[in-house]
Amino acid sequence: MPLYILACRVLQSMMEPYLREANIPATFMEYGFHRTPQLMTPALQEELDRITESSVFIIGYGLCGNGLAGLKAGRHTLIVPRADDCITLLLGSYQSYITEFTAEPGTYYLTKGWLESGSHPLKEYRELLEKYDKETADWIMDEQYRNYKRVVLVASNQEELDAYRHKAREVADFCAERWGYRYEELVGSDEFVKKLVTVAFQLTESTDDFLVIPPGGEVKQEMYWR
Amino acid sequence: MSDALVQISNAVIEGRVKDIPSLTNTALSSGLTAKDILDKGLMPGMDVIGAEFKKGKKFVPEVLLSARTMQASLDILKPLLAQAGEKMAGKVIIGTVKGDLHDIGKSLVGMMLEGAGFEVVNLGKDVPPEKFVDAVKKEKPDIVAMSALLTTTMRSMGHTVTALKEAGLRESVKIMIGGAPVTVDFAKQIGADAYAANAPAAAELAKKLINSN
Repeated sequence: MPLYILACRVLQSMMEPYLREANIPATFMEYGFHRTPQLMTPALQEELDRITESSVFIIGYGLCGNGLAGLKAGRHTLIVPRADDCITLLLGSYQSYITEFTAEPGTYYLTKGWLESGSHPLKEYRELLEKYDKETADWIMDEQYRNYKRVVLVASNQEELDAYRHKAREVADFCAERWGYRYEELVGSDEFVKKLVTVAFQLTESTDDFLVIPPGGEVKQEMYWR
Repeated sequence: MSDALVQISNAVIEGRVKDIPSLTNTALSSGLTAKDILDKGLMPGMDVIGAEFKKGKKFVPEVLLSARTMQASLDILKPLLAQAGEKMAGKVIIGTVKGDLHDIGKSLVGMMLEGAGFEVVNLGKDVPPEKFVDAVKKEKPDIVAMSALLTTTMRSMGHTVTALKEAGLRESVKIMIGGAPVTVDFAKQIGADAYAANAPAAAELAKKLINSN
C-alpha cells in the first residue's frame, strides 16, 4: 500500500534524514494552524482526500488543541502519534514531556523548526509594532506572555543546540528583560519521530505511543487520554 | 438602531480603546441607558469579534483589544448599572485549572459575566481543585466556571468536580466549563452541568443555569 507523510513544518528538519532513506513522499503544512486549530482539520482533510488510492498516511501532528480531532481516515489508514502537541515529539517521549511540564508548566519552547519557520514572542512583538503604537503592542505582549517563567531551547542533539543558541538567546533575552523568564537548554530526542517515520506504519492496532485509525475511522480526543 | 450604539459596536470590533470613553459618554448624554449601551452596543460588538476569531479571521491580539475596549466602557457604565438598581444576576467563581497558565479566555469570560450582571470572583490561573472547594465554601457562589487551554490540563476539571462532590458541595453549585480543547461531550463525561464555546455564549449559559434553578 502506498505510504505518505502529512506533517507540520516544525517537524520537517527532524523527519528529513529518515525520509531521504525511506523515500516516502511528504507534505509539510504551514505552522500557523497552531494558532487556529479550527482551520487545521479541514486543511489536513483536503490533503488526505486528494489521494484516491487507499494508502497509509503517517500524520506528523500532535492533537494540537483539538486541531486534529475530527480528521477522517476515509479510504486510508492513519498512523498518528499519541501526543498532545509537538513538544512531546520534539522531546522524544510522552514521559519526557510530562516531566518537563510538571517541573515548570510555564514553559515557552523554542526549537529549530519554530525559530526558522514558526513564530516566537520577539517576532510577534516586531509584527505588532508594525501594526500598533508601542503602548498597545507592549500591552498585548504582556497579556499573552506574562505568565510564563522560562524559555527552553529544545534540540535533537548538541550540534543543533549550538547552532540555534544565538537565535534562541535573542528571544530569551527579550523575554527575560520584559517578564523575567529564565533560559534553559534541553537536548531532546528524535526517538519518537524516528519510530513514527520508520516503523509505526507497520502497526495494525493502537499502542501507547501511536494511534492506528483504520479506514472509515476518525481521530477523537478521547483516544489521547491516558 | 441608534447611530451611537453602532459606533460603540464598531469601536469594540476594531479595538479602538481610545475612542470608547467619549463614545460611551456621548451615548449616555443622548439619553441611552447604561443597559442599552451594554446590551445593544458592547455585547453585539463582542459577538462579532468572537465569530471572526472562530473563523480564524481575527487573532488573539485583536480579541484582546476588543475586550480592553469593552472593559473601558464597562468601567464608566458599572456605577450607573449599580445605581439603576439592577439586581445581581448571581455569583460566579471562575478560574483556569491546575497546571494551566492561560488566563486570557478566562478573563474574557469573567468580563462578559460581569457585563451580564453577575458578581464574579476570579481565582486566577493554575487553580488546584482544593482551592475551588475552599472558594465555594467561602463565597457560596451559584456557579463554578472553569477554563483550560491544553488537552493535558483539561482533565483537572474532572478532578475539581470530584473534589466538590467529595466535599459535599456539588449540589450547591452549577458547574460550567470551557476553553479551546473542551467539548460538550467532555463536559458530560466529567459531570459538569454545561459547556460554552466562547465568552458571549458563556454569559448566556450562566443566565440559563441560574434560571433553571
